[in-house]
Amino acid sequence: MLASVHAATLLGVRGHPVRVEVHVDNGLPTFNVVGLPDASCKEARDRVRAALVSSGLAWPSRRITVNLAPTGVPKAGAVLDLPMAVGLLVACGEVEPASIEDIAFLGELGLDGSVRPIPGALPLVDAIEASIVVVAPGNADEARLVTPIVVRPIPDLRTLVLALRGEEPWPEAGTSIVESVAFDEPDLVDVRGQRMARFALEVSAAGAHHILLIGPPGAGKSMLARRLPGLLPDLTGEQALEVSRIRSAAGEALPTGGLFRRPPWRSPHHGASAAALVGGGSAAMRPGEISLAHGGVLFLDELGEFAPKVLDALRQPLEDGTVQISRVAGSADYPARVLLVAAMNPCPCGGSGAPGGCRCPEHVRLKYLRRVSGPLLDRFDLRIEVDRPEPVELLGDRAGERSSAVAERVAAARERARARGVTANVELDATALTAAAPLSPEATRLLEATLHAGRLSARGLHRIRTVALTIADLTGRDGPIGPDLVDTALSLRIDPFRPAGHGIR
Amino acid sequence: MASADAVVAHGAALPDAGWLTALLCLPAMGPRRLGALLDGRSPAEAWAAVCSGRPLAEVAAVVGGRVGALTGEWARAARDIDPELVWSATLNAGLEVIAHGDDAYPRCLLDDPEPAPVLFAVGRVDAVAVPSRVAVVGTRRCTRYGRDVATELGGALAAAGVAVVSGLALGIDGAAHAGALAAGGAPPIGVVATGLDVVYPAANRRLWNRVAEAGVLLTEAPLGTGPRAWRFPSRNRIIAGLADVVVVVESHATGGSLYTVEAALERDRPVLAVPGPIHSPASQGTNHLLAEGCPPLCRIDDVLTALGLVGSAPLPPDRRPSPGEPDRRVLEAAGWSPTTLDALARRVDLPPVDLASSVARLVRSGWFDEERGFYQRVR
Repeated sequence: MLASVHAATLLGVRGHPVRVEVHVDNGLPTFNVVGLPDASCKEARDRVRAALVSSGLAWPSRRITVNLAPTGVPKAGAVLDLPMAVGLLVACGEVEPASIEDIAFLGELGLDGSVRPIPGALPLVDAIEASIVVVAPGNADEARLVTPIVVRPIPDLRTLVLALRGEEPWPEAGTSIVESVAFDEPDLVDVRGQRMARFALEVSAAGAHHILLIGPPGAGKSMLARRLPGLLPDLTGEQALEVSRIRSAAGEALPTGGLFRRPPWRSPHHGASAAALVGGGSAAMRPGEISLAHGGVLFLDELGEFAPKVLDALRQPLEDGTVQISRVAGSADYPARVLLVAAMNPCPCGGSGAPGGCRCPEHVRLKYLRRVSGPLLDRFDLRIEVDRPEPVELLGDRAGERSSAVAERVAAARERARARGVTANVELDATALTAAAPLSPEATRLLEATLHAGRLSARGLHRIRTVALTIADLTGRDGPIGPDLVDTALSLRIDPFRPAGHGIR
Repeated sequence: MASADAVVAHGAALPDAGWLTALLCLPAMGPRRLGALLDGRSPAEAWAAVCSGRPLAEVAAVVGGRVGALTGEWARAARDIDPELVWSATLNAGLEVIAHGDDAYPRCLLDDPEPAPVLFAVGRVDAVAVPSRVAVVGTRRCTRYGRDVATELGGALAAAGVAVVSGLALGIDGAAHAGALAAGGAPPIGVVATGLDVVYPAANRRLWNRVAEAGVLLTEAPLGTGPRAWRFPSRNRIIAGLADVVVVVESHATGGSLYTVEAALERDRPVLAVPGPIHSPASQGTNHLLAEGCPPLCRIDDVLTALGLVGSAPLPPDRRPSPGEPDRRVLEAAGWSPTTLDALARRVDLPPVDLASSVARLVRSGWFDEERGFYQRVR
């Protein structure tokens, strides 16, 4: 009369264990689901009924109550279809309670009784409180990433019943039928010219410094940005698991037989809402783009076209590396450590932005730029002007360096950062920075002069020093930070807000 | 009708300048329309004619078919204007009101084809009487080169006792006055297109006040007049009329300073144009002037020669440390047009760190000016 089945539900990017309790009693034939189900959970009633009937199993015309415990956690998605069906079978005596004791069930049911894969298998399997898990064959590879759980892929309900009754053996665990699209990272070798922009990209990758590319349309800003993930080192084991968990929760298929090993690349359109960018939005609290890009690159093209409110929502996650989403239904923390790359035009007319070179009046140009708030602009350690390459360079056959060569230098720089106890220099705090990279007396004098000239804030000073250290790492230099490194860092951090005609004293 | 007559009777004590001020407060009241209104009328009669709202034949001759709508608009606006109140406010604000024919009225404007009937002034009105005046005009969207030339010109002229006339706009205009103020010497003359209580552009407030202190600010617009697009070309004719020579430093292919040139040619004032790089959009207008036969300004002294004055004092010695290697190479590669770091990297074969640090050094030592990622040589 009563059955209790192990299952799990997804809240944000994390799985939560759930017990599906099914009670079948005499009374008017009804089927009720309680325990904070969302719409797709409630619809499970119809799917379960059809699936049972299609599989040639009896449907109890009695009073059925399904409780999803713990009742305080909201349940979302069709992942609980399969455990509900199993619970019904047990409660009706079709299957022995003992046979499902240590087994969890995760899957969506088709009306024909087939078991379908569900998004988020990795975090879901991670959460279950049993040593065996039954999933759709399409989820098997992903589920197997969680050791030491035994994974039993099941194609349909009928096969499952026969296996649980012991009348037939469990089906062989085949390989995944879901094709995962391999992401081909574009290579820097395609970029012609742009020597300083390439260098800035290399510095950005080595120190995980956010970078802003300013330039006219057609200068190759997006082309450059796309090549940044290819410069980053592979994800570490823990990072890979974290990234895979988030992307699995978002419904992405994991690469065949493994985790995501390469840093992700996300480029949301500038029409994106704040919820789309940082997460939340519904009771299921989906991760936002910034979390989907965790461990990789978040590219915001046409930065000036994003709603200012949306951009400001990014500031806190960029600083903390996590997003905390709070909704009525609960709250969730998502990792959000990204390398931010943004691109924008120097002015609304699409001209080159050169002084005296475009048609926009000064106030129009400034209004366009000011859509990006000062505090957000401050987060970009590297801000460079990207120029249209000259025709000679586009047609010339002198190819640039390959991404793999640059990635080697980046990896070596990251290695030096690891010796300081961080994954990249950007994470160094003031004390660690002073210990890792003392300034030479001449560099100190130079920075003092820059501070006095009002061209640098306290935060800016820290950033300049960090970038100088990254450049030292890239060029393999040891010892105190020299003035030329500080100067290079200063040159790679232009101020697009500086109004024209400031030379008038 | 009756009320308009009453105004005339009541305000009979108001001087002509007072009536003119009231007339200038009317919307879209340019010099030609005002001239038409005053054709055969005293200013007080002209005001009464406006209040009547009748379409006037003299105005129709200037504006054509729109005369009915215009006079109607004037009549409506005139209802809200109390000429006496406007006049007392003008005097209370400390403005000097110079009517055409007054002793203080600039003599060079007396025979102007379109003289300003009234000029409002603040500062030293006698500044206009200096022996020679030169207008330095140009684009608001200038390059570092243009700004440097304007500053240098302003300084050299002021030092030679020549008053700099300009429009106090952003870019070239402001730079010329800033240069003149820094050099001391002859008082600057600013001719603006707004009321003297409306500082436009607001970014030049400091410059505006300094010109008013050291020299004079002139305008045709009564108090409270905000920036209107048509007033700027109209103001430019006064700049051209006041100047003995007009120098255009930088101008885009279609720029407001070309109105000043047109007005100067109408008034037989010599125009000099400063040559610029053929790639620079900010020099397209000036280079075109040169092509059309306008004499070039190749040295700062050229303008003094055009005025019949001797050359100016030599420039102060350059105090900047002379650049070492590779900075000298970078400086030479930059040329005189705005250049990006990427463009420099194309021209000089230096490792990124060497190039970027060299550029920062050149900025610090004053050889380069950095503006939003563009580097420009400083003379």
